[in-house]
This record gives sequence, C-alpha cells and structure tokens, in this order.
Amino acid sequence: MVFVTGKGGTGKTTVAAALALLAARAGKRVLAVDVEAKGDLAAALGGGAVRFTPQALQRGIYAIALQAEESFQEYLGLYFKVPRLARMTPLARVFDFIATGVPGPRDMLVVGKIAYEERRRDKSGRPAWDIIIVDAASSGHVVSHLAAARAMLTLVRGGVIHSQVEWIDELVRDDSRSTVLLTALPEEMPVVEAIELGARLRSEAGISVSGCVLNRMVLVSVSPSQRRLAAALNRDSDAEEVRHRLGGDPAPFVESVQLASQLHDRSAEYARQLRAGLPAPVVPVPLETASRSGLAMARAVADALAKDGT
Amino acid sequence: MTVATERRRGERRRPAHREWPGFEMGERLGALRVVVCTGSGGVGKTTISAALAMSIAATQDARVLVLTVDPAKRLASALGIKGIGADPVTISRARLRRAGLPARGEVVAAMLDMKSAWDNMVERYSPDRRSAERILKNRFYQRISDAFVGSHEYAAMEALYELHEAGEYDCVVVDTPPSRNALDFLEAPARLTDYVGARLLSWLAGPSGVGLRAMNFAATPFLRLADRLLGGDVLSEVSDFVRQLQGLYGGVQKRARDVYRLLRSPQVGFVVVTTLEPGPFAEAEFFAAKLREYTMPLRGMVVNRVLPPTLREPSSAAAATTLADDPRIVEWIAQHLGERYAPDAVRGVGRIHLMFNALAQRDARALAKLERIAEVPVSRIPLFTDDVSELEGLVRIAGLL
Ligand SMILES: Nc1ncnc2c1ncn2[C@@H]1O[C@H](COP(=O)(O)OP(=O)(O)OP(=O)(O)O)[C@@H](O)[C@H]1O
Ligand SMILES: Nc1ncnc2c1ncn2[C@@H]1O[C@H](COP(=O)(O)OP(=O)(O)OP(=O)(O)O)[C@@H](O)[C@H]1O
Ligand SMILES: [Mg+2]
Ligand SMILES: [Mg+2]
Repeated sequence: MVFVTGKGGTGKTTVAAALALLAARAGKRVLAVDVEAKGDLAAALGGGAVRFTPQALQRGIYAIALQAEESFQEYLGLYFKVPRLARMTPLARVFDFIATGVPGPRDMLVVGKIAYEERRRDKSGRPAWDIIIVDAASSGHVVSHLAAARAMLTLVRGGVIHSQVEWIDELVRDDSRSTVLLTALPEEMPVVEAIELGARLRSEAGISVSGCVLNRMVLVSVSPSQRRLAAALNRDSDAEEVRHRLGGDPAPFVESVQLASQLHDRSAEYARQLRAGLPAPVVPVPLETASRSGLAMARAVADALAKDGT
Repeated sequence: MTVATERRRGERRRPAHREWPGFEMGERLGALRVVVCTGSGGVGKTTISAALAMSIAATQDARVLVLTVDPAKRLASALGIKGIGADPVTISRARLRRAGLPARGEVVAAMLDMKSAWDNMVERYSPDRRSAERILKNRFYQRISDAFVGSHEYAAMEALYELHEAGEYDCVVVDTPPSRNALDFLEAPARLTDYVGARLLSWLAGPSGVGLRAMNFAATPFLRLADRLLGGDVLSEVSDFVRQLQGLYGGVQKRARDVYRLLRSPQVGFVVVTTLEPGPFAEAEFFAAKLREYTMPLRGMVVNRVLPPTLREPSSAAAATTLADDPRIVEWIAQHLGERYAPDAVRGVGRIHLMFNALAQRDARALAKLERIAEVPVSRIPLFTDDVSELEGLVRIAGLL
C-alpha cells in the first residue's frame, strides 16, 4: 500500500495516478483508491465517476472511491456478516453522526477498507492486487487517517472493533507492506508541511515515509553564455537584422532567461531545504508547461518519474 | 525586490474602466467593516489579506485588523506575529512608512486561534458552567474541535463576528483557512447548526439522563449490535456528548443566523483570490457564482502570480522557435554577432522562452475570460521571483491592488 499525501494542491492526485500508470506499465494489477471521493483521481486516470466497488479504468488499473456511508455498510457486511442496513437505520444514523464530527471511525473505515483490499485474495488464492495506491487526504487529515487505528484502540476499549483495529494498526505500521509518499512544491509552506508531516507520521502513527515528490520544479538551468546570448540578440546596433533573421522579436528573451534562472534557483533552494529536513529521498518532477490535465498530465508526470528511475 | 516585469510594452491598452491605479482596492473597500479574502489553497490568500489591509491603511486614517489563518513563518515574522494565541501586533504608521507605504492609518496583525474559538463557543452557549466543563472534558469534543468538517472555517467565522461586534477596529480583513473547497467557509455555520440540531440528537439524547439505555425495544437489536461493535462505554459517552451539545443548540442557531446576516450586510465584502492555473481558476469562478446565489457581496477579484505580459507576444514565440529548431542559426549568430555559442545553449534559450510563452498564453486566455465575465474590478499581481513576505514586498502588492 502506498499512501500519497501532502499539502493541498501539491499534486497528490496527479502523482497517485502517475504511480498507478507506472505500476500498470510494469504489468502489475493496481488498485487506485480515492479517499476524498472528489472524482479527481478517476479523472486523472481517464475515467468518469468511480464508486465503492473496483472499476476498471485503464489496462491493469482498477479504482474505487471511498465514502463513509458505503464504507460502513460494507464494513458491517464484511466483518460482522450483518445484512444490508435496511433494518438498522438508527445505527446508520448514529454512525453518521459520529462520522461527520469525529474523525476516528470514519478514518478507521477508510483505512479498514484499504486494509481489507490488501488482504483480499482472488480465487486462486493470490492477493487480488499487486499494489494499492491511495490518493490520501491532505496533510491536515492524513495523520488522523493513518493513526486512526491507534486512536481507535484508545477510544474503543472493547467490542469486536477493538480486535479488528489491532491488525489494521499492525498492517499500516509494517514497512514492508505499507508506505507513505509525500508530495510538495518548491515553496515555503508545502516544504515546511512535508517536513512536519514526515515527523508527525513517524511520531504519531509510527509510519515511515519512503520519499517525497517535489513537484513543479523548474529544472532548466541558465548558463552565463545564454544570458549573454539573450542580451546580444537585443543589441540596438543589430536589432533589424536579428529580427529579420529570427522572424520575430527577441526582446522578451532577456526576461524569460532571467525568470528561468530565478525560478531554477528557487527550486534548487527548496529542494535543498527539503532534503535537509526530511530523512527520505526527494524526487523532483518538472513543471509541465503544456496545457494538459487529467490523464495527459498524469502520463507526463509518470514519464518524468520513470526518467528519474527511483 | 525584483518584479518579473512591469513593462507593458506591446500590450494592448485595456479600456479605461478596467484600470485601477495604486491602492485602488484599498480606497474602494476601505469603508467596509469586514473584508473576507477567499480562494483555493495556496493561491496567496494570506499574503493578499495582509497587503489589502495595508492598501486600506494607505488610503485612510483607520485601524485595520488583518486576521490571518496559519501564515507562513516568514510572513508571520514580517508582520511581527508571535504565534497562536499571541496578542494582536500593531504595525505603526511610522513602520509602514519606513517600508514604503504612504500610510495614513495603521495595521494590526493577528492570528486565528482555532482551539480557543471553539472553547469560547462552548462556554458562551452552554446553559451553565457545569455543562460547559462536561463538554470541554469529553474525549469526543477534544477531537471534534480539530476534525469537524469545516471547524477551522467555523472558528474563523466566529472570530470575525466577535471582532466585528467588539468594534475595536475600523475594518477587519479576514483571511480564510486553506480549505480544499472555498465554500466550506460559507457553509460552516449552517453545517454546525445542522450538526448540533439534528433531530437525531433529540432521539439519541433521550428525555432523561439515561440516554440510549432508556430506548424502547425496537432499538434493542441495534443496541446489541452497537455494543458489540463499539463497546458499551463508547455509546454512553457519545450519548452524553450529544446531550450536552443540545444545550448549545439555541445559541449556535442564533449565532449562525447573525453571522449570515452580517455576511449579507452592505458593510461586508468578499474578495476572491486566484491564480490563473486551471484548478484554482475554476474554483474561483464557482465561488463567485455561489456568492451571488447566497446574495453575499463580491467586491473584487485578485489574480495573483501573473506572468509578465511581454512573454506572450506571438512574434517572440516565432523568434524563439527559430532558435530552438533551426540548426543554421548558430552559424549565423557567430558571424553576425561576433560570438560563437554552443548549439545547445542557443536551442536552450529558444526552449526556455517557448516554455514561458506557453504559460503566459494560458494566463492570457484565462485573464481574457475573467475580464469578460467578472462583474467586479480585477487586480493583477505579478509573479514575484523573490520573497514577498517582507513588509516591503507586501507594500509593493498593496500598491498594485
Ligand atoms: N508537474 C506538474 N506541472 C504542472 N502542473 C501540474 C503538475 N502536477 C500537477 N499539476 C496540476 O496541478 C493541479 C493540482 O494537482 P493535483 O490535483 O494532483 O493536486 P492535489 O494535491 O491532489 O490537490 P487537492 O489537494 O486539491 O486534492 C492540477 O491542475 C494538476 O493538473
Ligand atoms: N505574487 C506572488 N509572487 C510570488 N510569490 C507569491 C505571490 N503571492 C504569494 N506568494 C507566495 O506563495 C506562497 C503562498 O502564499 P499564501 O500563504 O499567501 O497562500 P494562501 O492562499 O494563504 O495559502 P493557504 O491556502 O495554504 O493558506 C507564499 O510562500 C507566498 O510568499
Ligand atoms: Mg487531489
Ligand atoms: Mg493562508
């Protein structure tokens, strides 16, 4: 299980989709899980709406979206052999109430469902999925998701749930079966949050982070000779001739070269800060400048990750 | 500080009614009592809120409070905010002037304290001291105030209302939490009211102190299952919590009504902050439409991190394509400009420009669309390539608003 998380907007969904594409390219059977059920993950995998049961989106990639209510119904069915909830609306309502306001149970069901999928076998007895990639909640909530099992153990001291929760807690903390991948941008807050999140996951949930994707990096560097070239193309004495030969106006080059170099330096500086603060590998992914979205964007990021090789 | 550019060479002049000279937004919004800055995560809400407070202080002799939510460390230290729960800090007229702002008023910076906003709410609306304490001590409460959907938003809303009521400031500029969904802010009071007031609660809480245990036989299988699932003490704790919460209902409901009334009043204005990236931009459009639906007044939009308009000139893209694709250009440059550059370096300059040109064109398309549909003034703030978190940087933005 790979949980992808980071500050809002840093590229969790895109990176989760990219990982799913890479795993599928390598011939793996992939389950992609959209925790927030916004539909973004399905879109990034080129599909429409996804529901609670796995649905094929790409060759080798299935996806599900988690919603508290459905999770709960299935959970009861799976673990307690309780029939559909028709006769138990009061319980559903109590659950709803707790779930809206209190993180524990809802988070628990999210993690519980994923853990269930991790254990699921197909008819021949082998695991149903080779890899489960989770587009998890953003920094604010992911610790409570992943620490849910632990929190639950203290909140619910008896009942069947207690023993259920124990194995989930173990699974989530087992480095060989479960890991977290962070996402960040080369900016102050996202980098600070990634570092803090790495530390909190370790201390509060006992989970280690396997790496951080530093997304939207400006990686092209500008050499002194390129700066000279941009200036030379704009010398007044040669202006007419240059314009004519190039078929257009080179004036803005000075600006783009300067902008590239500043953004490059800033990207490098934040990469340095992240590496210094996070005891895990940092993988840069370049800023995509073509107007892409959805699957096209996920493919571009997948290619960038593949090129990096880690 | 360096601005990516301020040159407007070659850019088509916009019609006069679309031009707003320095501090225009401050001038225009300064008479309001409350200004709420919203937008999706990371677009610059906190930065713009602080700059807007300065813009207002530049145009009138007022005490302007900026209530920030979780500011980046550098911004907090530039504003002098010590941390959560710290007292508001005044940035005096003299200091603003030293930073380059022609200040007439002063700015006070504060940081939202989520936890105390919730505790205050419980204390305020509980019928008596004892029930307040029971809630505050309940384990569910302790987690709820952190994780209730929209709890940050609700706390910001409460704080805003309190500040407004206290009337200590001429104007309060409110930053909003980094939510996934800007709408969470608007819906927080209603959601909390629903939560606290749900009919379920009366059912759960029961008429007597016995709560769940006193329910009729129809619920018995339910109780057995619930006990099996959760363990008995959890249920009674939930039911106790629910019962206590109910005591708050009247107060919470009234407050939600008052907050919504305030947000619709002519003293309040919303400013939507966005970048020109597809995601935040779509969110901003959606939010603006929602405000209209809620009859809450949108007063301005701020487009942040705009690339220099010169980068989008088509003629420069043609020139860059020649550098990137025409191998003979290297020789031509060597002959005509008197210096030989490596072919890769030449291609690289072309590619770099094409990259920014593509981004700038995307900006242009989004801006054109925005100016077509926006019914309020739109401020454009350029992408700065170095720190905007210093007071000087904020002053610079204030002038452009
Ligand atoms: N390398 C990249 N270059 C350019 N744009 C990117 C890149 N990676 C992601 N994006 C774009 O950035 C936006 C945010 O990405 P994404 O939705 O994956 O983030 P997220 O962390 O899942 O956001 P949220 O917190 O809202 O769920 C999307 O529009 C996406 O297409
Ligand atoms: N015009 C700009 N040019 C360059 N950087 C900017 C600009 N505006 C804001 N920033 C930087 O972008 C980052 C995000 O800004 P800010 O914290 O104000 O966003 P926010 O919308 O409040 O984020 P959140 O949703 O996390 O609260 C900060 O590092 C800030 O300094
Ligand atoms: Mg997402
Ligand atoms: Mg902010």
